Amino acid sequence: MNEFSLIRDIERYLEGEMNEQEKAAFESLRQSDPVVDEQVLAHQQLIQQLEYFGRRTALQNKMDAIHASLANNHVSAPSPVPAPKKVFVISRRLVLNMAAAASIALLASISTIALMQKASRQKTTAEYEDVRRVLNHIQRSQNALIHDINSSKKAPVNPGTYGGTGFAISNNGYVVTNYHVIAGADSIYIQNTKGEAFKAASVFEDISSDLAILKITDSTFKGQPLPYSLKPQRALRGEEVFTLGYPRDEIVYGEGYISAQTGFNGDSAAYQVSIPVNPGNSGAPLMDNKGDVVGIITGKQTTSDGIAFAVKSAHLKRLLEQMPKEKLPKKEWNHKNKLEGLNRVDQVKKVEEFVYMVKVYN
Amino acid sequence: MKHNQNIERDRELLLGLTRNDDRALATIYKENYPSILRMVLQYNGSEDDAKDLFQEAMIVLYEKAGKGEFDLYSKLKTYLYAVCRHLWLKKLQTGSWQLALPEELEEVLPAEETDSLAEHEEKDQQFRIMEKTMGDMGEPCKTILEDYYVRKMSMQDIAEKFGYTNSENAKNQKYKCLMRLKKLFFEQYKSKT
Repeated sequence: MNEFSLIRDIERYLEGEMNEQEKAAFESLRQSDPVVDEQVLAHQQLIQQLEYFGRRTALQNKMDAIHASLANNHVSAPSPVPAPKKVFVISRRLVLNMAAAASIALLASISTIALMQKASRQKTTAEYEDVRRVLNHIQRSQNALIHDINSSKKAPVNPGTYGGTGFAISNNGYVVTNYHVIAGADSIYIQNTKGEAFKAASVFEDISSDLAILKITDSTFKGQPLPYSLKPQRALRGEEVFTLGYPRDEIVYGEGYISAQTGFNGDSAAYQVSIPVNPGNSGAPLMDNKGDVVGIITGKQTTSDGIAFAVKSAHLKRLLEQMPKEKLPKKEWNHKNKLEGLNRVDQVKKVEEFVYMVKVYN
Repeated sequence: MKHNQNIERDRELLLGLTRNDDRALATIYKENYPSILRMVLQYNGSEDDAKDLFQEAMIVLYEKAGKGEFDLYSKLKTYLYAVCRHLWLKKLQTGSWQLALPEELEEVLPAEETDSLAEHEEKDQQFRIMEKTMGDMGEPCKTILEDYYVRKMSMQDIAEKFGYTNSENAKNQKYKCLMRLKKLFFEQYKSKT
C-alpha cells in the first residue's frame, strides 16, 4: 500500500466516510499490521495538533482584535467635549491695541527666559563635576588631582590620559562605565584588581544619561559568572549603599546612603548619594546591602561636600534593552544575586574582581 | 453574598469561553488586562510585554476551561494574576525575558496549577512546531488545511473556492497536503523532543 492511499484510508476511516465493509477491512488490517496502527495514531495526533493550532490561532486573532479595540478606546476616551463657541464683536482699533500689547509682553518674556537660561547654564557647569581622573598625575595628592581636572578643562593643550571605573554586566566581557570617561578616546584599556590589562572598545554610548557600554576585545580575557544583579526597582531614600572604584591605582571602598530620588537639577534617572567620591570614581557601581547594583556613580556637586550623583540601575537596564540585538551582551544581569547574607568584607572580596579601572588614551 | 455572586458571574464567563462566546472573551479580557498592564509597567516592562504575558495566561485559561475540569477555587482575576506571575518567572528562568520578577511577586502557585502550566508548556512547544510547519507549507496546501481545520469550511465549499470540479478532487488534494504536513511536522517534532 503506498503512502497516499494509506493517508486517504486513514482519513476516510477517521472522518467516518467508510462503509461497514471497508471499515471492517481497515480495522483488521490495522490489527494485523503494527505499522498501519502506528500511522493511524500518528495521524490522530497530527489532526489534534492541527485543530489545536486552529483554535489557538483563532483565539489569538480574537484577542488581538479586542486588544486593538481596547487601545483605541483608551486613546479616544478622554476626547473632551468641544466648548460652546462664543461670539464677540471686536472693533478694529481694539484689535490693534491688543496686538501691540501682546507683542511687547511676548518680547519681554522671551528675553527674560533667555537671560535666565543663560544664567542657569553657567551655574550648572560650575556646580557639577565629572569624577574622572587624570592619570599623569597619579602620585600627587587628591587636592592636586581635582585641580588638574579643573585646569585641564580650561585648556586641554596636551590632552592627558584619563581614568575611571567600570564594572562587568555579563560574563563575556561587557563592561559599563560613564560616557565622559571614554569620550574622545583613541584606545581604551581596562585593568582588574590583579593588574591584568585588556583592550576594550566602546559598543554603545548614551550621552544623555552619561553611560557607555564597553566590550573587552582581548581574547585572553576570561569571564566569570556575575555574583550580583542589576536591581530593577528604585533604591529608597536612606538605604545604605557602598561603592568600589579607582580614585588611585588601587581599588578603594566607600560607603554612604541614598539621599534623594533625583540627581543633579532634578534628573529623575539618577540618585543623589551621600558618599565620598573622588576623581576616578566615575563609572563605579553603587551597591545596596544585598550586593545588588542600584546605580552607577557619575559625578558630584562641587559647591558642597558629600553630594554625589549616580545613574539608576533601572535606567541602565532600559538602555541595555534598547541596544541593537547583535551587540547585546548575554542577559546575565538578571541572575540571582550570590552576595546576599555575606558580610561586607566578603561581599567586597567577591565584587572587586568585577570592578575594573578604565584607562583612556587620547 | 457579594463574593458568591462574583464567583457565579466568573463561572458564567468561563462557560461562555468554552462555548467560544466572543462576548465572554472580550469581557474577561477587558476586565483583567488593565491590572496586568499596571503590574508589568510598574516593574519597567513595556506594554508589549504585558500583552504577551496576559495573552499567554488567557490561553492557559482557555485550555483549562476547554477541558471542562475547571473548578473555580478563586476569583478569575486572582487566577489570571497568579498565572501571569508564574509565566513571568518561567520566562525569566529560560532567559526569554530580561525583566526581573520583583521578589514580592514570587508567590507559589498551588501544585495542581503548576501541573497544568507544565502541560501548557508542552502544548505550547507543539503549537510552535505546528505553527512553523504550517508556515513552511506552500500554497494551496496552507489555505486548504486552514480552511478545513481552522475555519471549519466544508470540503464542498473548499472545492468551489479553489475551483476543483468536485469535492473528491479537493479531498485528494487535502490528502496530499496532509501527507506533506505529516512528514514536515514529525521531522521537526522528533528533532525537538
